[in-house]
Amino acid sequence: MKQLIHLGFAFAAIAVIFLILNFALPLCPEPIGSRADLFITGAKLTLVLTFYAGVIGLLLGTLAGVAKLQKNLLLRGVATFYTWLFRGTPLLVQILFIYFALPVVSPSFQFDEQTAAIIALALNVGAYNAEAIRGGLIAVPKGQTEAAVSLGLSPVQTLVWITLPQAFRISIPPLVSNLVALLKDSSLASSIGLLELSLVGNRVSSETFSPVPVLLTVAGIYLVITSVLTAAALPLEKKVRGEK
Amino acid sequence: MSVLVTRDVHKTFGTQPVLNGVSFTADKSEVIAIIGPSGSGKSTFLRTLNGLEKVDRGSIKVLGRDVANATDLSRIRGKVGFVFQGFNLFSHLTILQNVMLAPIRVLKLKRAEAERLALQLLSRVGIAEHAGKYPSQISGGQQQRAAIARTLALQPEIVLFDEPTSALDPEMTAEVLDVLRELAKSGLTMLVVTHEMGFAREVASRIVFFDQGKIVADDQPRAFFENSENPRLKLFLSRILKH
Repeated sequence: MKQLIHLGFAFAAIAVIFLILNFALPLCPEPIGSRADLFITGAKLTLVLTFYAGVIGLLLGTLAGVAKLQKNLLLRGVATFYTWLFRGTPLLVQILFIYFALPVVSPSFQFDEQTAAIIALALNVGAYNAEAIRGGLIAVPKGQTEAAVSLGLSPVQTLVWITLPQAFRISIPPLVSNLVALLKDSSLASSIGLLELSLVGNRVSSETFSPVPVLLTVAGIYLVITSVLTAAALPLEKKVRGEK
Repeated sequence: MSVLVTRDVHKTFGTQPVLNGVSFTADKSEVIAIIGPSGSGKSTFLRTLNGLEKVDRGSIKVLGRDVANATDLSRIRGKVGFVFQGFNLFSHLTILQNVMLAPIRVLKLKRAEAERLALQLLSRVGIAEHAGKYPSQISGGQQQRAAIARTLALQPEIVLFDEPTSALDPEMTAEVLDVLRELAKSGLTMLVVTHEMGFAREVASRIVFFDQGKIVADDQPRAFFENSENPRLKLFLSRILKH
């Protein structure tokens, strides 16, 4: 539960960023100031993509990370295939495939741009999260599991109440770095026409013929967001190291 | 009444035999000290009794249930507590939460009820004032006492102690042994793997000596220390009692 509260803090921090951007961007000199709304809309979409893909990806990563450590061959096989596939192919290809190719395979897989991008991003970050969670689970001392089963907890109870909560703590640094990577990788959603932050930058820059200030602004916004995400994760990491 | 019976238990780690046919019986309310040199199989034997280690051959019956071939051990484990050398308290939970976990999840007690039980047990082992702390914030002796309280919370009929004081300094050893003494008086059936000869002599109703995966001697404390005929036991005792 505490993790979720911290996650809540992280997104609250991002809301604060928007307030700052809302006031700071319009005050910027041309050609930024007059197009501040455009940048903010783009940044919002970037954050929406990151949020949904991040939450679903954490869930997927947890399931796959746990499955990879099971004795059951089918579970382990499915999880291993999933991580192999999504870590071994470019995210751009994954996004294009889900948006353009899946509807050809079956019309029931027809998604709008935003949904397709979220699915692709979630599947991709989930594959990386799976490895982080698996590593965390392996690092939980064996004595913790032994104590849990000795108290009569079932394997599932042991996972839910003992090993996973400890694995999450251990996995926070790699999970945060996956989240930061996800935020930046969401720029690939522009390939299917989603007007997220980097596509806004691209359009405004070619429209105004002033790439330097425009792209610097875009990069600056990304930097502010990733900095806040990393900073929000710091207290969590401290907790992992036992500095309560 | 026998609460624990093993017959001809064998166990091998790779090619290394650890248990070479252990047959053993414990009656209700007995306090049995298990001693022996390192690698003699005493801890492994203890771990087979609640299924933490699977045996290769032989039978284990605990409270009438077959442990050696059981598929679902969680029911029998509620009745057989286990206390570890390294405490193994759950590091992400407070002491109180450590003790409350099994009553809530296994015995399905209400939270308030589990908390009352936990606090009562924590004061019984003398660490109620540390209930809100995390395991890393208290001493080893306090951690082991918390681990004992955690085990007692399931109201077990038998508790297995695997070298409960081996990771502790003498002062902390004493405080844990005090708790064990009190438990022994309460009528709990206890199996204690230990190197504390004084404790074994004073508290145990029986002492069992393991060597090379077998029970070599099994007697009442007085007879055990005074009339030991077995040369290996004599050698072990002479080495350990010198210090």
